[in-house]
Amino acid sequence: MTEEQSTSTKEWHLEPETEYRFELDPGTSLAIKLVRGHAEVFGAELAEGKQYLFGSECKAAIFTWKGCTVEISQPSTEYVSDETPMAAYANLHIAFEQMRVRALRTLHGSPAHDDDPSASAEPPRVLVVGPENSGKTTLCKILVNYAVRAGQGWSPLLANVDPSEGGWAAPGALSAAPVHSPLPTSSPANPLGSAATSAPTSLSSNALLPLVYWYGHAETKRNPLLMDRLIRNLGDNVNDKYDFDTEGKVSGLIVDTPSSFGAGTGASDHRHKLIKACVDAFRINVILVVGHEKLNVEMQRIYGSQLTVVKIPKSGGVVELDHTYRERIHNYQLHTYMYGQIIPAPPGITQATVGGEALTELTLAPSSTVISFDDLSIFRIGAETMAPTSALPIGATRVVSEMQPVPVDPAQPGSGLLNAVLGLLAPPNPDENERYDEEILDLTVTGFLIITNLDIPRRKMTILAPNQGSVAGKTAIVGTYEWQDQ
Amino acid sequence: MSLYTSQSHYGQPPYSHYSQPVAHNGYPYQYQQPPPPIPPAPVYHQLDPVSFRREYTNRLSELNVNSRPIIQNLSMLAQEYSRYAEIVAQCLEAHIRRSYIKHRQVPPWMKLPAFYLLDAISKNVYEPYARVFAVFVVPLFLETYGQIDENTRSKMEEMLLTWRTGNPQSKELFGVPPQVAIERGVWGDSGSSHNSSGFYNGSGHITKAQVLSELEFTLGQKERALQANPYDSTSQNHVNVLHQLRKLVEAGVSQEELQQILAQLRSLVRGPVPQPSPATVTHANWQPQQVYSTQPTTQPPFPSNVPYPTDGVKGEGSHTSIVPPSTSTPTPALAPPPEIANLLSTLLKAGVVSASGTPQGAGATAKEEAAKQEIVENDTLEREASRAYRQAILSQPIRLTSADITRKRPQIVEFLYDQLAAQCKQCGIRFADTIIGKKNMEDHLDMHFRQNRKANQNIGRGHSRSWFIGVEDWVHDLTNAKGKGRADGVQRLNPKAAAAAEVAKRDAELRAMFVVVPNGAEATPVSCPICKETLKSEFFEDNEDWVWKNAVMKDDRVYHATCHAEALASTNSLAARLRFELATGRSRSTTPEAPSLRATPPPSTLRDSKSKSPSFSPSLEAKLAGTKRKVDQNDSTITGEADGTPPFKKLALSPLSAPS
Repeated sequence: MTEEQSTSTKEWHLEPETEYRFELDPGTSLAIKLVRGHAEVFGAELAEGKQYLFGSECKAAIFTWKGCTVEISQPSTEYVSDETPMAAYANLHIAFEQMRVRALRTLHGSPAHDDDPSASAEPPRVLVVGPENSGKTTLCKILVNYAVRAGQGWSPLLANVDPSEGGWAAPGALSAAPVHSPLPTSSPANPLGSAATSAPTSLSSNALLPLVYWYGHAETKRNPLLMDRLIRNLGDNVNDKYDFDTEGKVSGLIVDTPSSFGAGTGASDHRHKLIKACVDAFRINVILVVGHEKLNVEMQRIYGSQLTVVKIPKSGGVVELDHTYRERIHNYQLHTYMYGQIIPAPPGITQATVGGEALTELTLAPSSTVISFDDLSIFRIGAETMAPTSALPIGATRVVSEMQPVPVDPAQPGSGLLNAVLGLLAPPNPDENERYDEEILDLTVTGFLIITNLDIPRRKMTILAPNQGSVAGKTAIVGTYEWQDQ
Repeated sequence: MSLYTSQSHYGQPPYSHYSQPVAHNGYPYQYQQPPPPIPPAPVYHQLDPVSFRREYTNRLSELNVNSRPIIQNLSMLAQEYSRYAEIVAQCLEAHIRRSYIKHRQVPPWMKLPAFYLLDAISKNVYEPYARVFAVFVVPLFLETYGQIDENTRSKMEEMLLTWRTGNPQSKELFGVPPQVAIERGVWGDSGSSHNSSGFYNGSGHITKAQVLSELEFTLGQKERALQANPYDSTSQNHVNVLHQLRKLVEAGVSQEELQQILAQLRSLVRGPVPQPSPATVTHANWQPQQVYSTQPTTQPPFPSNVPYPTDGVKGEGSHTSIVPPSTSTPTPALAPPPEIANLLSTLLKAGVVSASGTPQGAGATAKEEAAKQEIVENDTLEREASRAYRQAILSQPIRLTSADITRKRPQIVEFLYDQLAAQCKQCGIRFADTIIGKKNMEDHLDMHFRQNRKANQNIGRGHSRSWFIGVEDWVHDLTNAKGKGRADGVQRLNPKAAAAAEVAKRDAELRAMFVVVPNGAEATPVSCPICKETLKSEFFEDNEDWVWKNAVMKDDRVYHATCHAEALASTNSLAARLRFELATGRSRSTTPEAPSLRATPPPSTLRDSKSKSPSFSPSLEAKLAGTKRKVDQNDSTITGEADGTPPFKKLALSPLSAPS
């Protein structure tokens, strides 16, 4: 075994400001150990001598500012590149730090003496836009990681409004969470750290407390009105949080967006509305356009007068991802949500960590229970299949509007509920007088359920829930996501 | 594969270290050769025994100052390689012995750090180390004790006292015989009697942890009594009071208050147990609490500590006399049957739990001021450090334009690496090489410790994803407040979550209580006099009887345990709650007991009428619902885990901290 260990590992010496990039095939994993020097994965520094595991078709890069030696357990698709946009990203970080510092000073009422008086005293509230495969999420992660590493106690909010990405929850969700420690990278199933579990974790990034809304679809164009509303809900809560926590506000906010915001083809009207929704809801003051000239010009034209629009280079390392890959990632994400992050270590590697945590603590036990149809009220927002409004005959109105919650009866054949992913909603306002018709559109999600079996004659269904909490009497929303536990 | 190859031998529920079973035999009192270390599977380690020994010896040689990071790193290493416990023990023993012979001119306190390491490993990793160390700890301790100066001796004595309750079950860390042997060697035959007062009075400083650990201990006793005799309402009452007292202490009280609480506590514990004569110490009744009653005969010098000034009235001996005589506090000698229920009220009357929360002893005030001073100094340092950082950041000639961003060379390395020279070897997070930075790093390492320990205890327990938190909790969660949030991932417990966890735990315990259904009464429906709901009976396989779950018997009537506790709490804790709220200066809706929460209607959201999401945290909702779901057996399993606001899990308190 020891021999095998030595033959399957390989050392790489990285020059300063280069990165080692790798792509994993399905079912393989990789362990990386920093032998000497300093190295980071998307802004999160690696500790020397620890084995870091990567899996689930992870595509990532080890970057070094000052040079390092890394030991790679099991070579895969790999190469070293010396052309990275990291210098630009680092400059961005410093520029944002300047904004944070000024905002903090203004908050404390300290005088601004040595400084450009014209500079804004607002903390950075950044919207990252760009086309598909431009590395938006990675950029967000790097910026957040640098902020928490500054040693100033910053804890920026990271918001994800890309429903196909899903952030900490399941795909189909929009969410935001404050980040206190660097976000590790180990698998595309939880690219931004993971949401809290009952297991003890060493890194708070593996026990994040996101606020989650459920959109339920991968495509923003499927129900732009709902997207718009959820974005505004998320923004309202972020602003409430900032009103309550003025010191926390100084750390700023970084918003990751779906690629549909950046792709200027076809029906672009909803795209602009959604960007506008983000800018308003999160009070954005900086838009970063990743590697897209035309989009940059477009953003400059619309927002250039009221906020800063900066075009930044995209990394040459981003991988073109196809549709089937994204599907597999969705499966990994839901599996990880329910069962935890399990990456088998390559042969010969032990004592490894996944995203900074020991392997043992990452396995989760979901709960499968049989409940009655009446225990859970299930809704679908809008009709199941919906043509765009523009495609309707002139003068025709919808029977069911996009925003109307429609009850779904599991007893009806073809309800589409089998294997569906449900967003379990937080309880409605306990004060009856405060309730309103569309309240369920504005409720956050407490967790996700999968309907794994429907027994129509006995009016029972089997649900897979993340924990043993009771779902009786609750409301859930079904989207278009499905998942089967393989 | 696991980092934690050592399974815990004690069947201890992770979050309730005082609810252990009565007759535990888990701690192996072995004094002969400890079993050989678990043979390491050849693949599963990176260091073979020889290189591990070399590595550990090398690292040990750096331990010639009392440095917490070094101690912690060494004990983490020990934890990671617990299969080489033998080697660690040999290295450590050799290190302590050698450091004397070789460096005769070296200050003798040099050995203290090594003992602190031994202490830290035994307490934090415990298994198998305590067992392994027990073999040589007696001669080693006494030998060292004979060679060192007074100052260091007193530190060793302090440490020795913590060993009395150092194991995970608050029993003797290395077992009774070694403990007694060392104490005899240190304090002579009557050792175990007078040393304690030397420690507790001589130093004059009582730590919160100390009081808490005694509280836990007493609580454990009472709860065991309660388990053995479920409808003993007196014990039930005691447990409730002790719970409140614990919250009080956790919330922070002054030195004097701690002192008095401790004194009261001891007199109460002593009550039922016959006073053993120090000469005939036996395992059964050799309990740390018993020794405190006797008068001190010696006072080891504690140069750094001011003797604790009692409030003018008393001699240095009996703690109980600190309480003004008017309060009719039982004196230790004639402690009546433990009227623990009076404890709280006595304390209240005595002004221990003063409304203002101001400490009354001059010494305490001075101490507090010193602490404040320290905080101020730290603040100044911190402010200066961050001012320097701000200036450095602002002096960077970078503007937020595409041109500047792409063309300039960033000075990032300085900010992300050079400025933060200290790095955690576990996770790579960096800290500034300043006083503040070091302090933060220590906290961070402490956190790793706690997490590792928790993980160790939790093996095989099964975990699950928590529910996401509700809007209210998310918006008001201050963990990310600047300066408060730490880069290291210590999630602060918000008081709400802490209280909720406490409530959930108590709730689970109550629900586990049962009353055996009298013969022939199986068919008769019995309802709880408080909530009027029918008690559900079920077959309990352990004793093959029908029982009422979640039930207590009181005055021949059967109550829901939860209802009963609630009713009790609402009468008992009223005063405490009031005091507590006054003392903390603000009303905390989540203070001591659940009823306050349940009784209060949920606050209406302060939102305007635009489309918002006025939802509440699932935990609050669950608590509200909890009152209705009484008998359902499932509930007891759910409450802790599943209602979960995630910070629950952060709530394990370690009653004893390693001395440093």
